[in-house]
Amino acid sequence: MSDKNREGKRSARERMLEERAGQEARAKRNKKVVVGGAVIAVIAAAVVVGVVVQNQRSKPETPTAAPAGTIGDKNLIIPVGADNAPSTLTVYEDPRCPACGSFERTFSPTVDQLEDAGKIFVNYHIVSFIDRSLGGNGSKYGANALGCAQNAGHFRDYHDVLYRNQPGETEDTFGNKQTLIDLGKQVPGLDNPEFQSCVNTNTFGGWVSAVQQDFDKSSFKSTPTVLLNGQPIYPKKGDEQISPENLVKWVDEANQGKQLGTPGSHGQSPAPSSTAAETNTSPSP
Amino acid sequence: MASQQAEHDRVGGFRRVVDGPAAEWFGLAVRLGLAVVWGWAGLAKVSDPAEAAQAVRAYEILPESLVKPVGWGLPFLELALAVLLVIGLGTRVVALISATLLLVFIAGISSAWARGISIDCGCFGGGGTVDESQTKYLQEILRDTGFLLLSAWLIFRPRTKLSADAWLAA
Repeated sequence: MSDKNREGKRSARERMLEERAGQEARAKRNKKVVVGGAVIAVIAAAVVVGVVVQNQRSKPETPTAAPAGTIGDKNLIIPVGADNAPSTLTVYEDPRCPACGSFERTFSPTVDQLEDAGKIFVNYHIVSFIDRSLGGNGSKYGANALGCAQNAGHFRDYHDVLYRNQPGETEDTFGNKQTLIDLGKQVPGLDNPEFQSCVNTNTFGGWVSAVQQDFDKSSFKSTPTVLLNGQPIYPKKGDEQISPENLVKWVDEANQGKQLGTPGSHGQSPAPSSTAAETNTSPSP
Repeated sequence: MASQQAEHDRVGGFRRVVDGPAAEWFGLAVRLGLAVVWGWAGLAKVSDPAEAAQAVRAYEILPESLVKPVGWGLPFLELALAVLLVIGLGTRVVALISATLLLVFIAGISSAWARGISIDCGCFGGGGTVDESQTKYLQEILRDTGFLLLSAWLIFRPRTKLSADAWLAA
């Protein structure tokens, strides 16, 4: 075998190896492109499917069923008191929010008085966002139970009972439907199968979600948010701290020279479904 | 000359550690760790679509028309990343997307912090406005930075044990 021949053989082998290496590199690159494309496709598909699924799962912003007597363009508001009262008090509350509990325990007798005197028309927005940060269902189930009470014409009384029995914020006591039903027994007219089934089946769950979504889109960020004729008064109105006396004073100032409203049946609409309520709960002294 | 040789050995030793089988096992741990993070983050945001949307809205960055698509799509993006990391498919691409997403999150949290709004990052469910005393911006950013380091490792060392990538390469 001549040297020349040997050399030619080697270069042929080298060429072959080079070619093979090139082919392998190309195959590797192709594989990478295919894997990368597959990964991107999987992710894109997941996102698209996710948006479609969540769109279907999410509850509508306009509820399909709202408690009787609710007002506003989407029936998200629970009204208490005379709708022709000269001033409107708007209250955003979460059943689980401790500051709302303390507001209610301090102010509900005063608010009841102002309602019964035809001085204010109260608009409640029962929101339910505490469940999001603390977990549980107490805000949502509590709000649904309040909707059930409204549906039966006993919102005001049940609302007071609920806040008087409010657990600590981190305890999800209202997440237990039986607790909500048991508290209803303190309100004459709510100790009945309709209320129980309404609480148990979460009848107004869609409405509760719609009220919360409306709050989400509002500029208000915390509860309680309390507005007198659209102006925030909690915890302060301007420089003045809210107190039962100041609330009465502010309402009277706003109402000066205006005709008072005519509160209907215990300030509730619809009228209580049981006469027991009217005999039992005389207007606050 | 001798010191150069030592230097060479040290670099060689470092390379062996970073590229050797021990590193590929470490890479597996990193991959699965990041998968758990994305899986947990995604699952926590799936249950309540309105909550997920509100977590996005609370940043006050995106226009209202994008709030819901982002809030609804993001958890599924995170879940897809988790699944891909578990099977180890396209690890480098997935790690790149993870790092990008984490940088976006860190930027969003920093922006909220800088603008003085009080929100929960909503990283693992929840989200929305919280009391000023309840904000945890620094912890949230540090946590995401930790996850970013995991992603960075996988970008630079995407070869890991027990991965679909390794199986495809064989």
